[in-house]
Amino acid sequence: MMTLVWSALTIGAVYALVATGYNVVFTASGVFNFAHAQFMMLGVYLSYAGIVILKWPIFFVFVLAGGVVFLAAILEERIAIRFVRVAEAQLVTTVGFATLINGAVQRIWGPSPLAVPFFGSSQVQTLFGGRVLPDELVIIVITFVIVFALMLMSRRTMIGLAMLAIAENREAALLRGINVRRLALGAFAFSGLLAGLLGPILGPQTFAGAGLASAIALYGFVALAIGGFGSLPGGLIGGFVVGFAQEFAARYLNSNYPDVVVFVILLLVLLLKPNGLFGKIRERVV
Amino acid sequence: MSVLNRLKSVPSFTFPVVAAILLLLLPQLGLSDANQRQLLLIGFLTLLVSGLNLSLGYAGELALGQPAIYATGAYVAAYMGAHGSTDILLQILAAIGAALVVGLLTGIPGLRLGSWSLAMTSFFLVLLIPDITNILINVTGGPSGAVGIAPPTLFGALLTNYGFYLVCMLSVIIWLAFMRNLVTSRHGIALRVMRQSPVLASSLGISVFRTKLVAYALGAVPAGVAGALFANLDSYVSPGSFSFALAISILAASILGGATSVYGAVLGAVIMQLGPSVSTSFQQDALIFYGILLIAGGVLLSDGLTGLITRAWKRYVVRPDHVTRSTTHSPQDFHFEPMAGATLSVKGVSKSFGGNVALRDVSLTAERGQVTALIGPNGSGKTTLLNMICGFYPIDAGTIDLDGVRLDNRRPHEIAGRGLARTFQTPVIPTGITVSQAVLAGRYSPERVSIASAALRLPKFWKVRAHDEERVAQTLAIVGLSELADEEAVSLPLGTRRLLEIARALVSNPSVILLDEAASGLDEGEVARLAVLIGRVRDAGGTVILVEHNFRLVLSLADTIHVLAQGEIIASGAPADIEVNPRVLKEYLGVKDVGAAAAAIEAETTGHAS
Repeated sequence: MMTLVWSALTIGAVYALVATGYNVVFTASGVFNFAHAQFMMLGVYLSYAGIVILKWPIFFVFVLAGGVVFLAAILEERIAIRFVRVAEAQLVTTVGFATLINGAVQRIWGPSPLAVPFFGSSQVQTLFGGRVLPDELVIIVITFVIVFALMLMSRRTMIGLAMLAIAENREAALLRGINVRRLALGAFAFSGLLAGLLGPILGPQTFAGAGLASAIALYGFVALAIGGFGSLPGGLIGGFVVGFAQEFAARYLNSNYPDVVVFVILLLVLLLKPNGLFGKIRERVV
Repeated sequence: MSVLNRLKSVPSFTFPVVAAILLLLLPQLGLSDANQRQLLLIGFLTLLVSGLNLSLGYAGELALGQPAIYATGAYVAAYMGAHGSTDILLQILAAIGAALVVGLLTGIPGLRLGSWSLAMTSFFLVLLIPDITNILINVTGGPSGAVGIAPPTLFGALLTNYGFYLVCMLSVIIWLAFMRNLVTSRHGIALRVMRQSPVLASSLGISVFRTKLVAYALGAVPAGVAGALFANLDSYVSPGSFSFALAISILAASILGGATSVYGAVLGAVIMQLGPSVSTSFQQDALIFYGILLIAGGVLLSDGLTGLITRAWKRYVVRPDHVTRSTTHSPQDFHFEPMAGATLSVKGVSKSFGGNVALRDVSLTAERGQVTALIGPNGSGKTTLLNMICGFYPIDAGTIDLDGVRLDNRRPHEIAGRGLARTFQTPVIPTGITVSQAVLAGRYSPERVSIASAALRLPKFWKVRAHDEERVAQTLAIVGLSELADEEAVSLPLGTRRLLEIARALVSNPSVILLDEAASGLDEGEVARLAVLIGRVRDAGGTVILVEHNFRLVLSLADTIHVLAQGEIIASGAPADIEVNPRVLKEYLGVKDVGAAAAAIEAETTGHAS
């Protein structure tokens, strides 16, 4: 039972990380970056390349994954976001960028899933009566650290406050002298860097596979919808809700049901609480 | 060029009709079986893409779930075909029903949040296909697919190869005709308006949520039809046919052909169907290619290949005639139909945004056959009050009613539907439509036409269309814009756009008309014209609420003036009282020496009148 909880927490943490990536970009630029899950997938593939093919020391693998995805995110902001003003056109271009990464990854590494070895110990631990792998623990802890650090940052630093200001009112932020464009680019770059750096940590759990991105993109979105757009703690809790729903549905129903259960949760949340658990209600403005 | 010029006099539907007849006859002209199959697959893809166009190109909502709807239609038909209901029309009808159910089921929750929400919710459906087929393994055959589908029949007779081809192609043709009729009707204009400005749409009486939902759910219909046909193509359906990759190629075809077009779907489908078979390297790198295409399509070609062709057509073939911008008639010359009018009362309305009090205990009444003016310095709450009357902000306290019927806490489109029409401080004119179409948008709520009668061109549609044309022409003449009827609306100068907005408000024959700074940016001649126009509306019995900074215009037109300052009404009364009210002079006009200023205004207005 506790083993199930550990794996639900792990998988939930992965979704929470996707939701966090969406949130960082969304708060700073109002863009829903469909390709964020692809960034994470790219980080995992690069970790595979660094660890298994190139056999680099782990430090350089982190640099490789973080650096390349960082650049990919800047590239996306430059070619697929900056000059596109209409919201639905931005959706199309971010889907396009995601598809491009999918295609490139399959072209380079082939369609079959690849295992990424964990850089630390792979000794199974027993904790609170459940079995858990060290890499699972690392994922859970890292997720909490990232989300709390970002929460602190958004409240305590000028950059964080500027991002909140942009999310509240883009024009007013511009008039206040906030460089909206540079912050948007910065948010993309940061989310890419983060996604890349997570590659070697997530890889052992998720594997490097072609279907990885679309699956975590959707679950990450459900986490976001549950928590409320723009809410960091909401995304964290949403991720765990999805993780638990999936693991428990797989265990107590059968393997066909996890996605159906998550989908039903999504529909219910959208119907009953469209702003999520932590989202704010906005008044309509003419 | 002369050939091209002669072409433009042919009705616009001629080419598609000729192409459709040719398409239906192709197998008789010796088309090979392999090519016939290719054409059928292009037809199915056209249906899928066209459905997406309706929601993406026209309603502005990205739907990535077309493969799931396609699968739904296919499995419904497969189940029926394996259980004795082989009639293809019956299967198509059942598939349409199932597609609508799935469309509504995902559309209602999906549309509650921003546009990514529908994209992701519908995309999720595609992920569910393998699970659902596994859960319903007895019906669907699970991963190995549904088999035992009996060959399709039509009215009891077994369909030949050519018969099946005819049914498929006719389905495509009928859908495209339906789509064309829909988007060229007033519903098409309503969709354009809504996509560009939800605020304008709802103030014209268009329910934004419902319109988006209908567009998305209707877009599911052709996908369902395509599914039913697809199931009968090989009498076999498996989950492998409905993948993420299909969703992406449908989107790519839509963007390539032009999402905001009817026939662009055909073009996109042809390229996407034939492209992969041209070279094997294309197949290998399909995703990379699609990705680049989507980015480029989103950035550069907002209206796809069809847009390029249309622009070339307009540029080289249809040369615009010169227009004279003079307006000869005065509104005085026109007969005004009597207007119903209504009494609008605002009682004790208060509103604050956070800690910022915008309105405090405001009460006023606007009577029929009168002009009620609202003046006050910038930021005094005039537009806020207008927006609350129109239902864009919830009110904190007080009531607003129209002839005794409560308006507060109703949605903007419901309020507009009760006969309130308005103009905006900054005119809101959608791009890509002509002046007369912009005015036509105002006819949406007074006389309604269902989507079915518009798409099927039922008698009701023609009747209302005749009314529409008559009323639009009449209203354009009244505001003096007849000569500009076919110009692109958004390219007009500011003053003319204001008049256009007034025409759009008037064309609905509203009982109350709210003008938000209608005179600012108008030249003297236009102001005079506006004054006559407002006078005529009042004389016809309409209720006019005028928010205005042009003090002289207000004094000459208004029956009652209310002065707002810092969210409170500081004075109300007839123009003669207001213009000498010391508080008004001080707060609004910023005059320190009140006596002298009053005398000056007095002198000026009397001088002006003589």
